[in-house]
Amino acid sequence: MGDLEGYRGQSLTALEAAGVSIGDFLSLEVDGQSVMGTLAPRYAHDDDSHIVIKLKSGYNVGLSVAKVTKVSRLAKGERPSFTSSNPKTRGDLLEVAILGTGGTIASRVEYRTGAVQPAISSEDLYSLIPELSDIARIRTEVILTVASEDLEPEHWGKMAEKVAERVAEGARGVVVTTGTDVMGYTSAALAFALQGVPVPVFVVGSQRSSDRPSSDAYLNLIGAVTLAVAAEFAGVYLVMHADSSDELLAIHRATRVRKNHASARDAFESIGIPPEGYWTRKGPELISKSLPPRARAEKFVPKPLFDPNVALVKFYPSMPTSLLEAQLASGLKGLIIEGTGLGHVNRKNIAVIQRFIAGGGLAFMTSQCIWGRVDLNVYANGRDLLQAGVVPLEDMLAETALVKLMWTISNTASAKEAEGLMRKNLAGEVTERSFPSGQTA
Amino acid sequence: MSVNALDLSKCDLKVGIEVHQQLATGTKLFCSCPPMKSEELPLSFERRLRPSQSELGRIDAAAVFEFNKGRVNLYRWNPESSCLVDADEEPPHPISAAALETVILISEILGARIIDEIHVMRKIVIDGSNTTGFQRTAVVGLGGSLAYGDGKSVGVQSTTVEEDAARALGEDARARQYALDRLGVPLVEIALEPIPDSPEGVERAALQLGRALRSTGRVARGLGTIRQDLNVSVKGGEVVEVKGVQKLNLIAKVVRYEATRQMGLLQVAAEAKNRSPNGVSSRVKDVTETLKTPASPVLKKVVQRDGARIFCASADALAGLLGFEPYPGIRVGKELGEIARTNGLGGVIHSDEFRKQGVTEAEDSALRAQMGVGKDAALVLVAGEEGRASTVAVLVKERLEAVPRGVLRETRAATEDGETRFLRPRPGAARMYPETDIPDIVVSPELVARMGLSLPVPWEQKVRSYSEKYSLSGEMAVQLYDSDKADLFENLAAKSKLDSSVIASILVELPARLAREGVEEMSIDGSLLSSVVLGLDRGLFAKEGAYDVLRTLGKGEVKTVEDAVSRLGIASMDDVEVERIVSEVVERNHTLVAERGERAFSVLMGEAMKLARGKADGGKVSAMIRRKMQEAGSPKQGDGGSA
Ligand SMILES: [Zn+2]
Repeated sequence: MGDLEGYRGQSLTALEAAGVSIGDFLSLEVDGQSVMGTLAPRYAHDDDSHIVIKLKSGYNVGLSVAKVTKVSRLAKGERPSFTSSNPKTRGDLLEVAILGTGGTIASRVEYRTGAVQPAISSEDLYSLIPELSDIARIRTEVILTVASEDLEPEHWGKMAEKVAERVAEGARGVVVTTGTDVMGYTSAALAFALQGVPVPVFVVGSQRSSDRPSSDAYLNLIGAVTLAVAAEFAGVYLVMHADSSDELLAIHRATRVRKNHASARDAFESIGIPPEGYWTRKGPELISKSLPPRARAEKFVPKPLFDPNVALVKFYPSMPTSLLEAQLASGLKGLIIEGTGLGHVNRKNIAVIQRFIAGGGLAFMTSQCIWGRVDLNVYANGRDLLQAGVVPLEDMLAETALVKLMWTISNTASAKEAEGLMRKNLAGEVTERSFPSGQTA
Repeated sequence: MSVNALDLSKCDLKVGIEVHQQLATGTKLFCSCPPMKSEELPLSFERRLRPSQSELGRIDAAAVFEFNKGRVNLYRWNPESSCLVDADEEPPHPISAAALETVILISEILGARIIDEIHVMRKIVIDGSNTTGFQRTAVVGLGGSLAYGDGKSVGVQSTTVEEDAARALGEDARARQYALDRLGVPLVEIALEPIPDSPEGVERAALQLGRALRSTGRVARGLGTIRQDLNVSVKGGEVVEVKGVQKLNLIAKVVRYEATRQMGLLQVAAEAKNRSPNGVSSRVKDVTETLKTPASPVLKKVVQRDGARIFCASADALAGLLGFEPYPGIRVGKELGEIARTNGLGGVIHSDEFRKQGVTEAEDSALRAQMGVGKDAALVLVAGEEGRASTVAVLVKERLEAVPRGVLRETRAATEDGETRFLRPRPGAARMYPETDIPDIVVSPELVARMGLSLPVPWEQKVRSYSEKYSLSGEMAVQLYDSDKADLFENLAAKSKLDSSVIASILVELPARLAREGVEEMSIDGSLLSSVVLGLDRGLFAKEGAYDVLRTLGKGEVKTVEDAVSRLGIASMDDVEVERIVSEVVERNHTLVAERGERAFSVLMGEAMKLARGKADGGKVSAMIRRKMQEAGSPKQGDGGSA
């Protein structure tokens, strides 16, 4: 925390003039009365005309700089500090690697000023979630500090390489913590880059940040670490709350999972298939029998490259041709279309797509319906798209298709080869049989 | 050892009051759900809250126990009264403008400084009563004062707007259950400075504050909509927080009890320090083997259960002090029992009541031998399921060691009969940090000015106007204000030719009398009351019959005033009938009238009203008796001793 973190403009000037810092115990004269408390930090979007004081009662109040006639320091503050208890590391336990990719795996609060600090080291993590020290030897590393929505394909590559590194070093399993907004894309990316991974890799996140007592981060993390030790299967999975309660986690196939709610704990759903299994406090349950078993680590090599020159375009009624034209003119190599229903776009755009494919581009069709399978044979519009060279991707999720195309282009030599790979089921991204939504075989 | 009542005026008694009052805004504070009670709670989910991270490592034993009881929180809800915000599945929506304005208004009534930029905070609460694990709360006003009669006034510390907690439905060994309907309902919390006054003075301050709040017309009414917390301290003690006094008229009683309890504990502490100046040493042992076949029926019953153990906590030098009552009902033994009950056990048995509980002398000796203590030590037996009993035994040990400290910093709950019972150790300073989901709220000077212009008429002024305009007694006018039926009263007073005090009495006194008889106040609504008043006005029955009419209607036995009157057989008598009764009574008492003259009146009046059985108006009967008495003969003066 800086000396006057977050303050700017008039309020910064006033505080600098008084020579005070965040954490100092101050007395402010306002309308002839004095307000006493600790100077608290200010946040990014706050204005520059208020000073925030944390009262003895713990409350923060903002005082208008214009009304403050005098600022005096009654006591110098201490910098917020966090102490971690020394965790006992049990040598008899197996090692689980936790890779942080969003900066914060867990965080804690310093109540004197209200600062929230991330817990990064294994020690921090043990002291926040002491249960972990009875489950595994944890090795944590924060490999990226970017917000979920700022992730780039190269970051997925870095994650895959780090996972492979840990696997080679003998980790029993790997847990990747990440922001939930693009977690479905991330899990799919890892599934393609880590095909054949010999241990289980669990991607987890939280919908309620971990500075809150009600955070889902704890259960998700405890579940993922337990699974990393106990699971007899290998592969990449996304693990999150199965419902609103803190009791059951769903283990989703990495390529068929989607964030279907903006804020709820059980936002992630397996689409068109049931989850591959569940985690309960008693252990893994209802684990699918078709999951690959653990294997020896020596032969495993990741394929961490992703080509960002692809686009995902959602068709909408009245969509002008200018949008796609601009996209395609930017040197795009491939295009995933989210068409309506069985996979349609309006007639004028079919012509644009046709020109793109004729020029060597790759174009694939998915459905914006989320559930169900595209079929370009039913209506004339679909047959026109087929004739133009658009490849239907069955029931592949549009997000998964995008990530797969990025990976495919990097891992093939020609458009022809890439198209072939896109049609092939590599990581369970396509199913052969469909069931009513919400129901499964 | 004296058991005199305590003179609190010499105890340096100070009481801080925190009033929590629900606001009558149309929505909850951070979502658009309507504040309403749901009878059906068809949906549910279970959560576990973790103590906030920075507390880890320095939580006291009791708080850890509270958290580690291993119990989950089971939340039950109904979409009619709750949504995903309440379930902590969606971020809070912007703060309710109506609630914020109301609290600004209340702050201004109390003369507080309105905060320029309001910061919503998260106050950590891990007992499960908030799905988030914290309560959202914000200071709106600082300072101000409240006059509470006899020229006394008390300072206001702060006025805050906050969300109400979930409604507790009960708990068992596995889960604590809550209903989400009440969660998020806006509250105003007003914290008063400690009041150095008598328990009655404290109660009056709370009463006056409640009236000031109601003068806004923007606060909720009814049971459970207002709650008082009290911070009670006496000379030489600590501040004890007493939570959840729901009825105003219990405040004085609770304060008196709590102050007496504290003074009693200080007295016990003094004796303990006297006996053992270097502190009380205490230990805990498992004594299940020693008491294999206990003589005490209570213990016998417990040890028969699977996995039950008996633990003994000993405390040197405290023999006789656990059962000692410096004031009636105040003893350390009771405090130990509360610790056990708070943690799911039935109670404890201590050595001052061994004989009463059937623990034999031989058992006593065996226990002392095992514990390695002499006759001067106090023993406390804790029995039950092993984990629970051993934890309680440790808490009992800590409590015994704390006896020389007298009053402990703790949070207690007010009971319905005006006592207090142990809830948990009092947490340190409130743990708060900013609610980052809600942007800070800059309060414009225009809003402050606008609310300043819409300050309500002060309640004292309203009361005065009722008593002047309608010639009501001061007391009746206050009661009318408190009852919230002033508007109805004014309406009926304009419509009927009845005496104002008769109307006020029907609206205010009769429902209160019926409530004491168990007829719910809810069932006696405004339209029922006005039908009774208007029925009386039409002469359907005499005013003496109003109570019975209202009761019959309130119990739902009949639908209309007419039906009630005919069911009760109290249709107003016509004048001929009244005259017949009066004549009969005067005649019958003819000798008495002759002897006592006017002083016979009350006897006659009583007999006549009895015969009329509520069907005749007292005023009419009285006038008639006086006339008849006059006719009956020349009244004599004096004590009837004429020769
Ligand atoms: Zn709601």
